[in-house]
Amino acid sequence: MSTLKVNSIQHSNGTDALTIDSAGNTSFSGVVTGTPLGNRNLIINGDMKIAQRGTSASGITGSGYYTCDRFDIGGVSFGTFTQSQDTDVPTGQGFANSIKFLWTTANASLSNNSFLQMHQSIEGQNLQYLKKGTANAETVTLSFWVKSNKTGTYIVNLWDIDNTRLIAKAYTINAVDTWEKKTITFAGDTVASFDNDNGRSLDLTFGLCAGTDNSSGTLQTTWASAVAINRYVGQVNLADAVNNYINFTGVQLEVGDTATPFEHRPYDMELARCQRYCVQGDFALAGCYGGGGAYPIAGHTYSTPMRAAPSITYISGGTASDGIADYAVTGLLATQAVTSRSARILLTQTGTSAGGRGMDTKAVTLKFDAEL
Amino acid sequence: MYKKVNNLNGTEDTTVIKRTSDNAFIPFDEANTDYQEYLEWVAEGNTPEEAE
Repeated sequence: MSTLKVNSIQHSNGTDALTIDSAGNTSFSGVVTGTPLGNRNLIINGDMKIAQRGTSASGITGSGYYTCDRFDIGGVSFGTFTQSQDTDVPTGQGFANSIKFLWTTANASLSNNSFLQMHQSIEGQNLQYLKKGTANAETVTLSFWVKSNKTGTYIVNLWDIDNTRLIAKAYTINAVDTWEKKTITFAGDTVASFDNDNGRSLDLTFGLCAGTDNSSGTLQTTWASAVAINRYVGQVNLADAVNNYINFTGVQLEVGDTATPFEHRPYDMELARCQRYCVQGDFALAGCYGGGGAYPIAGHTYSTPMRAAPSITYISGGTASDGIADYAVTGLLATQAVTSRSARILLTQTGTSAGGRGMDTKAVTLKFDAEL
Repeated sequence: MYKKVNNLNGTEDTTVIKRTSDNAFIPFDEANTDYQEYLEWVAEGNTPEEAE
């Protein structure tokens, strides 16, 4: 170990590039290049802090979003598990949450088409700086923390949805019940660019189990046209016993061949990024009007413009009032003029309010879904 | 399964379809993945239920 004591570092032309004052403060005279200083992480909600849909879902046997935002589940015939936003995290890393899968019904004998993956889909317009499909295609590095009772080989994929291309890498969980940090670097792909739009262009997928339809080939460790049997070769069957579990947190995908420290973003920033894709919560719909005496109508502008015009679902609860009486909201009658920024929402309610009056609603739980 | 939705005046709303499994109202936006799934379902030869 040695120490370099200098006050500045200069270019050979004598220009200061870096100076250090007596208090140890460092100044750079130009721009620090190599990796971005901010917004490095292509993954949204990598620290699993946002869970708008709920913090626990049990009896899961199919695909979908369940707890932590932006992390989708795809698969069939993988037994049954409970997914939760967990507070088990690696010590000293600044995380508060992880996503947990806990098996409640095992599938020890996977069928050919069995598989289960956790994935996050990324919009093409957010991937243009990877320069995919050019001679300057960027290398990217994935880092994440993982903990499981089941050691062995696990597989991650980058799946180019636009061009049906794939690269897969293996990693090993070495110790039971122990948080481990994994770092995996993927070469850039000089073939086939991502679409520059708001569609689904790239999936980062974490394999959890795979039958022969997705594992009987040779692991595809370089970019090439996607071949299903080459996706999850060697993947352990995490579904093979009740009480098997796995936790993930600190998922980061960034340009370069080095994993930088996890980019912790403020809660409000991460929530807004998630809400481009899904908003679920209690709403007091503004500008309500008692349409025809039987249903409140309201215009609603989303707090964050969404990726696309969202599907809208009534979840639960809510009270409407015409100033004379309260009425329980019971559902969604219709939606109108739905765009990526706003919608007109017609609710149903118990009883008949005074038609034509101004109304208000409160605590109506709705979901606006524009996921990829 | 899907069901057509009527406007308040009783005519068919041609901008939205209702998914009966969760009563989601799906706008006819080509970037909406639920709408994409609906189009695939129709392309397979299925037809939505008439509105009530």
